Amino acid sequence: MAEAAITLDRVSANDGDQALVEDISFTVQQGEAVALVGSNASGKGLVLRLCAGLEPPSSGTVRVLGADPARATEEQLLALRQRVGFVFAKPALISNMTVFNNVALPLRYHTVVPETEIQERVLARLTECGVAAFRDRMPADLTLGDARQAALARAMVMDPDILCVDEVLLGLDAEELVRLRKILEQYRRAGRPTIVATVNAPTSLLRVMDRLVLLRDGRLVASCPPAEAPLVADPMVQDFWGS
Amino acid sequence: MIAWTGRKTVEGLEFVAAVLVLGFSAVRELFSPARRGRGEVFRVITRQILFTGVDALPVVGAIALMLGLIIIIQAGTTLPQVGAGAFLAKIIELTVVRELGPLLTAFIVIWRSGTAICTELGNMQVGQEIAALDAMGISLVRFLVMPRVAGMIVAMVCLTIYFDLIAIVGGFLVAKVHLTIPIQVYLEEIEEALSASDVLITVIKSVLFGFAIAVICCHHGLSVVSSTTEVPQQTTRAMLNTVTVCMVTDIIVSVWFYL
Repeated sequence: MAEAAITLDRVSANDGDQALVEDISFTVQQGEAVALVGSNASGKGLVLRLCAGLEPPSSGTVRVLGADPARATEEQLLALRQRVGFVFAKPALISNMTVFNNVALPLRYHTVVPETEIQERVLARLTECGVAAFRDRMPADLTLGDARQAALARAMVMDPDILCVDEVLLGLDAEELVRLRKILEQYRRAGRPTIVATVNAPTSLLRVMDRLVLLRDGRLVASCPPAEAPLVADPMVQDFWGS
Repeated sequence: MIAWTGRKTVEGLEFVAAVLVLGFSAVRELFSPARRGRGEVFRVITRQILFTGVDALPVVGAIALMLGLIIIIQAGTTLPQVGAGAFLAKIIELTVVRELGPLLTAFIVIWRSGTAICTELGNMQVGQEIAALDAMGISLVRFLVMPRVAGMIVAMVCLTIYFDLIAIVGGFLVAKVHLTIPIQVYLEEIEEALSASDVLITVIKSVLFGFAIAVICCHHGLSVVSSTTEVPQQTTRAMLNTVTVCMVTDIIVSVWFYL
């Protein structure tokens, strides 16, 4: 059996004395699409950063693509970062670069591919995410939804093995939501990348997912397929699906 | 009082250690053989030179001209009255080339480019752009700090030489209206008074000033955590610290070479 893409084993993370995430364990298989579901301040954003190896746990073990980010050398961490695409809740596009240059940045920094190929790959990703028309605009000129789509294109431009998306619904209108669902479905059919996304409200995107990891107050409530989630006997889960 | 002194001392030492570590990392990256991101890094360096150096030429030129004019008028009218008219060139060399040139250029660069670096990096922190760069595996020192340090040093050296030239020649040309010394004689006296070591020390000072300004401003910009209100606070601290460090560096270099 192929090694899991992400493994969290009894992971806790603190902010000073305050525990933000406690004793979380779950595994994400390669090619799997998992949604971290919970209300605001449930700890799902932190769990997502732990999954991407961006945050070290205070206890427990995190393994991402076979590596332990907390113990990795600088070079190993650098290699890992290139295999994990991350979309922040804020678009976090570099404000003094055009949308095109933002998406091209990882390719220009990490690879030595010719500029013509960079142009092709970047344009393909921008088109896929529906923001090719804004290629020459500065990030400040975009709506939140478009900026997040550009950030998704940037996260995908290196063809990562894992794609992590924080607050996947943030800033999307109905049309953008449909486009995003189609993109995710396409990735699911292709079997890569492994997708981990945080969601704080019921959405049709959850149907694309293989599994939901339900979180409340920094603790794991349940991990199950989307169809079984409404059956979980937990007030938060009941409220979530009831709404 | 003792606790306050102790806390401030510890904070000061932590600041010095953090700045030295950042500076050392930037120098290491500058001489690193790694090819990663060369094109992008070069682009940031040229942009920094353009912004700090080329764009600052008018303001540096104007201040240099005014300073040269003031010194030449004062020295050119006072020295002959006490029978020391022959020392005009020496006074210019002492004040402009050795001290005021590098120091005033550093102050202009601090309030123009130092503030810009600190504000830009601070706002990048608030907008999670720094976190995004880290998530993409882009080294913050290689992509953000080192190009600013390199660009700042190149710009500082060029601006200081430009400042000295404008102050010496431009100031004299403007003051010529009231002075009787021929330009040829004046320039020959300057050439005689100016030694190679003076020029070398000026360059050394500008390299050290450029390095200090860039590293300290980057440190303060990257010290912003999450709030926009921290950006002006860190920028103010960066200004105070860079001015202090430049003054102390100037004194150390002057004492080292001239005492």
